[in-house]
Amino acid sequence: MTAKPYIQRQPAGWWLKSSAYRRYMLREATALPIFLYCLLLISGLYQLTQGEAAFLDWLQVLRSPWVIALHVVAFAAALFHAWTWIELVPKILVVHTSRFTLSPQLIKRVHQGGALACFVGLIGLAVLLLTRATTGAG
Amino acid sequence: MSRSNEPIVWSLFGAGGMILAFLAPAMIVITGFLLPFYFADRPQDVYRGMSQFLANPFAQLFLLAFIALSLYHAAHRLYHGMHDLHVHGPRIAMLLLFYGGATVLTGICAILLLRLG
Repeated sequence: MTAKPYIQRQPAGWWLKSSAYRRYMLREATALPIFLYCLLLISGLYQLTQGEAAFLDWLQVLRSPWVIALHVVAFAAALFHAWTWIELVPKILVVHTSRFTLSPQLIKRVHQGGALACFVGLIGLAVLLLTRATTGAG
Repeated sequence: MSRSNEPIVWSLFGAGGMILAFLAPAMIVITGFLLPFYFADRPQDVYRGMSQFLANPFAQLFLLAFIALSLYHAAHRLYHGMHDLHVHGPRIAMLLLFYGGATVLTGICAILLLRLG
């Protein structure tokens, strides 16, 4: 007679039990609005290939309440993702040689600064580009 | 024992996580606020600007990298999230659905971008 292996049953709602688990699941759940946002970008790309009228329709869709809601949720998700992701960077990126060591705090701060610079830079670039198309020699 | 696919999917997940952390907030402000509201009074110019911008191969590569890596990142998290939620299916079918789905959408995105070039 062989002994049956002991299997510990985990209830499906295991992650509701502690705030650390809930935070973990919330972090993983940021992938859902990000995925929907990617679909929205692809749809915009498709409309752009279909010409001006189709793209203007897509711009109109961007002003509908559900799409505004998606953007708000996706923005919150992107910020939460960015924060938690960069919190983990120093745990993965460890710079420690015989000659010098970079402090985890410094690595984190540099990434946060980089993300902030990208945020301001990319929006600035978009404004510049679209303003030039507006006033522009086209 | 078959070779693990973990290094490949984790690389794509990691790259996607990094690109999302750095670029997603700005991208969402651009499509959620700048295009439809800030430039609301001149949609034709937005069309002209976007067409010109995305005719550039570097801009195309940028957008493809952003969308593709974000998709693989999301697919990885959702695939493992299904396990966490105790939602199980045949392994091969789940892999095809999530990572295959991200691959198909990446292909569609590449084809659309080539048409703009």
